[in-house]
Amino acid sequence: MKKMLTGVLSLILVASILLSGCSNGKTGADNKKSEKKEKATIRLATWAGADEAKELQKIIDKLNESSELYKIEQDSNPADYDTRITTQLSGNGGLDIFWVSAQRASQLAAKGAMLDITDKLSSSDHPAADVSDYFEASLQPFKKDDKLYGLPWLEQPIVLYINEDLFKKAGVPIPDDSWNWDKFMDAAKKLTIDGNGKNAAESGFNAESAKQWGFTVNGWPPAQMFVWQNGGDVIAPDFSTSPIDSPEAMEAFKFYADLINGPVVPKQQIIRDRGFDTMFKDQQVAMFMGGAADNLENQVKFKCKVCEVPAGPSGQKATFGDVLGMGINAKTKNPDAAFAALLDLTDAIHHWKVMPPRKSLATMDEMNKLHPERSESMQAIINSLEYAKLYRYYENYPDWDNIFWTQLMDPIVNNHGDPEKLIPVVKPQLDEKLVRK
Amino acid sequence: MERFAGTFGRWLMTPIILVLIAIGLYYFLRRIGWKHRQAMGFSLISPWVIGFLIFTAFPLVYSLFLSFTDYNLFNKPNWVGLSNYKWLFTKDIEFWKSVKLTLSYAAITLPIGVIGSLLVAMLLNKKIKGVGIFRTIYYLPAVLPEVAVALLWRLFFNSESGLLNYMLQPILKLFNLGKPDWFGDARFVLPAFAIMSIWGIFGTNTVVFLAALQGVPRSLYEVADLDGASAFKKFWNITVPQISPIILLQIIMGMIGALQVFTVAMFVRPTSAAGKFLNQLIYERGFTQLHMGEASAIAWVLFIIILALSLLVFKTTPAWVYYESEGMN
Repeated sequence: MKKMLTGVLSLILVASILLSGCSNGKTGADNKKSEKKEKATIRLATWAGADEAKELQKIIDKLNESSELYKIEQDSNPADYDTRITTQLSGNGGLDIFWVSAQRASQLAAKGAMLDITDKLSSSDHPAADVSDYFEASLQPFKKDDKLYGLPWLEQPIVLYINEDLFKKAGVPIPDDSWNWDKFMDAAKKLTIDGNGKNAAESGFNAESAKQWGFTVNGWPPAQMFVWQNGGDVIAPDFSTSPIDSPEAMEAFKFYADLINGPVVPKQQIIRDRGFDTMFKDQQVAMFMGGAADNLENQVKFKCKVCEVPAGPSGQKATFGDVLGMGINAKTKNPDAAFAALLDLTDAIHHWKVMPPRKSLATMDEMNKLHPERSESMQAIINSLEYAKLYRYYENYPDWDNIFWTQLMDPIVNNHGDPEKLIPVVKPQLDEKLVRK
Repeated sequence: MERFAGTFGRWLMTPIILVLIAIGLYYFLRRIGWKHRQAMGFSLISPWVIGFLIFTAFPLVYSLFLSFTDYNLFNKPNWVGLSNYKWLFTKDIEFWKSVKLTLSYAAITLPIGVIGSLLVAMLLNKKIKGVGIFRTIYYLPAVLPEVAVALLWRLFFNSESGLLNYMLQPILKLFNLGKPDWFGDARFVLPAFAIMSIWGIFGTNTVVFLAALQGVPRSLYEVADLDGASAFKKFWNITVPQISPIILLQIIMGMIGALQVFTVAMFVRPTSAAGKFLNQLIYERGFTQLHMGEASAIAWVLFIIILALSLLVFKTTPAWVYYESEGMN
């Protein structure tokens, strides 16, 4: 036993020597001193897939070269991203800055997981720190009690991608500024063709043998967009109620249900089996509502045009604007370096992705310079940004969204649910989730 | 290298610290009068005990504490007493649906799993040429990753081009029925999961039964043959009682597995109209909605359900489980 003890103690001594040579082993005070001398390593977590991560790394390499404060290390993995960063942020995972969706941002900001950068922004003269340059809506998910906890790097409105070839073949005029729900439905019917060549507007049309559909929807685009277009809302501005039972909202949900159950949209089974956006790319669907950043017009082999989504019956324009951004871990050991990295990287992404949520950059001139390959689509995208809206995110929004989807939208989309029967039951359930916030 | 130095250091120091603790424990036990063999035994199992305490016992007890709190992972747990449980039992609109779905799934798949495994094991117990190859093939499901299998099931159940609907086509045409949307239509979700559970027949369950069957004394069958017993009588009066402890084990383990179904449900993502399995609900409440207190409460309810059902099964054992040692006594 004594020999064993001696052996173990010797092992510990050797291990300690090895570790003191390899490890950082610095104290907090040493860290502060060394931050001045050497660049702070800033760990960035993203959900970027392989291709996107490669492009992002090129941007990061340039920033690292030019910065004296920080060196960003990318840690990109789309698998279970939300769970991963939640776990890292709640522990001491060593994460400094991270990509975050609008929904998660409002959750994490409210729970103190993200660093308050309000004062840092106001004292910085970096272009990306100019809060007044951002579209107000894009900042909402990062705000809590008038404090800012992150910055958006993208706000992409939903736009309408159309297959121009199919439109020409069917003799349907290209969408214009006068398009509303009625004109949209008319076009969708004429673009829905059965096996005998008849369209859905003609008598004798056989929906069972449809081989081309005018539109596709599977819960996306979100029903909220149609509610806004009809002048309604799903969460009141003061978060006191979910007015899904208002006449405007009810009408919008019925329009949505009729779209799904009608002949112009494929059965949900078919959409699941063949692929939602794949059907548009394979020319089985003539119109597709997707994010402006999807860049479908440059990915497909047919002539594809980007248009604004149709307005509501009274001409009201509204579209959903998805916001993605970045925040700093409240527990970061290098807040100043992390903030500098956040600003530089946010600004770089503003010049990379469509659309930057900044008024100075979201102009025709700037966007044509940055994305010449999308010059034909830019006007529609910029116009859409003007009336893009976000969901009303708040701390417990996932609870509300869970009820909204599982009790209302899933029955409508997948089980022919009747909004008139569902809404009176679901409304109090949604209101309860607002009360619990 | 610098980035991973901390992790490497912790990896290196962990076994060293465990060994030190084991040595220290040995000397301490000897000092208080324990005999050498006893002290050595306890010190050698101490690393496992420490691991159990840190990674199983502590989280277990802590989750019980969390179930009485409002905890969002980022702020300190806030004591709320029985509120989480009251909410679950009286106001939560997903909880009871989830309990119903999970129990229904277990009730359907458990008999399929146990009976199916036993039947396959009996086939593999035959002395035929190439039985070794069959045993290898039938064990393969155990080595395939659950996620990969879940993705295969998605293809299998594809309503347009999946193998299952293709095989059912003649029957569907005969009765003028449309192709089932297995994961999109709430009516077909439970049947789809029941079909997927057939996969669980193969693998470890079959191997366990096979081992049990091979442990049944041949002399019992020979005596039964002399008495002119039929194959069914031999099965019912010899095989089943002899392997009844293993049947009990399979029922308990199968029930625990069925009530904790998660991976397949998360990857297949059936329509939420069918409800969510309890483990799915725990995950979503904890990590999506950040209500860790509620998630812990659901976990403890699931634990109570499993415990209650297991005790119920054990209560019935005097009637049907035969232990050879009892027979000898």
